[in-house]
Amino acid sequence: MNVIEIKKLTKYYGESRGIIDVSFNVEEGEIFGFIGPNGAGKSTTIRTLLGLIYPTSGSAKIFGLDIVNNGPMILKEVGYLPSEVFYYDGMKVIDLLNYSASFYKKDCSKRIKELAEIMDLDLNKKIDDLSFGNKKKVGIVQGLLHEPKLIILDEPTSGLDPLMQQKFFELLEAENKKGVTILLSSHVLSEVQRLCSRVAIIKEGKIIKLESMSTLNNENYKRFKVEIESPVNNDYFSIAGVNDLQVNEKTHSFLFKGDINQITKKLANVNISNIWVNEPDLEEIFMHYYSKEE
Amino acid sequence: MNIYLHELRAYRKFTFIWSASLIILFMMYFSIYPTIAKDADSFIKMLENYPEYLQSAMGLHLESITSLLGFYAFILTFVILCAGIQSLHIGISIISKEERDRTVDFLMTKPISRSSILTEKILAGLTTLVITNVFFFMIAKIMVEVFKTNDYDNRLFALMTITIFLVQLMFYVLGILLSVIMPKVKSVLPISLGVVFAFFIFGTLVVSDEKDIYRYLTPFKYFEPNDILLKGGFGLLYILVAFIFITASIVASYVVYNKKNIHAV
Repeated sequence: MNVIEIKKLTKYYGESRGIIDVSFNVEEGEIFGFIGPNGAGKSTTIRTLLGLIYPTSGSAKIFGLDIVNNGPMILKEVGYLPSEVFYYDGMKVIDLLNYSASFYKKDCSKRIKELAEIMDLDLNKKIDDLSFGNKKKVGIVQGLLHEPKLIILDEPTSGLDPLMQQKFFELLEAENKKGVTILLSSHVLSEVQRLCSRVAIIKEGKIIKLESMSTLNNENYKRFKVEIESPVNNDYFSIAGVNDLQVNEKTHSFLFKGDINQITKKLANVNISNIWVNEPDLEEIFMHYYSKEE
Repeated sequence: MNIYLHELRAYRKFTFIWSASLIILFMMYFSIYPTIAKDADSFIKMLENYPEYLQSAMGLHLESITSLLGFYAFILTFVILCAGIQSLHIGISIISKEERDRTVDFLMTKPISRSSILTEKILAGLTTLVITNVFFFMIAKIMVEVFKTNDYDNRLFALMTITIFLVQLMFYVLGILLSVIMPKVKSVLPISLGVVFAFFIFGTLVVSDEKDIYRYLTPFKYFEPNDILLKGGFGLLYILVAFIFITASIVASYVVYNKKNIHAV
């Protein structure tokens, strides 16, 4: 059963494009990743699903209900965690959470306490006095306290320290085991890789790829930068699987996809003074991989 | 009714300060009355020195100003000016603060229709105005009783005092309408001061002619305390036009608010 069904959703802001003909479905119980560079249309899509903005054309359904006509009914079972959280002045954390809970006709007090404990959140502090990361935690608890069936997250882990990120992922995974569907929008590859089973990739307002996580993993590049002491040719690393090879005096940098042993063998045969290996974030992958396709 | 209560709590300081200020302002100026009543003739002679247009601009009506209700009407002019600022300010701010403080994403992703949000907010702001008026009425009544030299018309006193609320109501719904139409209100105070003063000044420039159509362009001329004193009641046409204006503004506000796109902040 599809929890979210999006059909050719289009939003223009006057002349400028927001999103164009976006279509995808999110199945019940999935953790679905929605990824794309800045300005691609992730927030536009999410804000349209939530009823904050109205589509220019196209439609979408959540729980089988049309998003334009049935907003309040849908939102009863939706938890939304925006990327930046702002709250009312002068309120304590517990006041804000209770105010949030008052919109859902159910008793959320136990759940609030549970979540606050897991996320290490002091309920009696004033929100104005909290750090950015702690405010983010308030956002997390606020989005989950009514035990929604669908959780929509917009860049959820920015601002959280690694330990909290872990706890948050565990929280999401626990919810997912209970049957909760999660739509996660991000441009941080690691969190998408960790949690999602399927992803839709959006660029310049259009969905350009819709595939399972396992396929995306196989297409994952690593970025290498090596400082080589021994004299080598500029095309020393020019082997199959290497892309975007750039050589600057002693520094060779490139993207590589494939069997990593091929690279380590090449490294073993020379004297290196320094090496950097990292995973490019999704934006780099887009800018390189997808612009090549055009 | 959670939004209603939340907003009442959020505006309690604002309401207290404005109510107290209006009352203190009134008490200060009205307490001059006994002095004026004693020396009525010399006071009038002094006022006669002002040119006529200035007299009417400042709401100085020589024939009545030394009577209790006449003086009351004069002081009320300035109370109503300040009260107008209070109501326009809260009308604009109670809606626009969600976008200004960026809490709109929080509120509008809750399972509540936009109409319900608007209704609760409008009622909350209205309640603060009612509270202000109730307290003002009580204090004004006490002062008028303390300072009266002879009996006065109770009914006229009540009608004159209610004009504060009526003018506030007009500015309030105007504020609500402005706040749903304007894209982003960064600072409410300059707008509320500017708009109210503009209407007030426009009102002073309007010739005090009953049939003058320009009177309908400023809320201050709909329910002028002095007019009520002179005519013994409200002008029916003013009530009708005010009612139409208030209804139309509210309806328009709902329509705009429901159709609005809320962009990311």
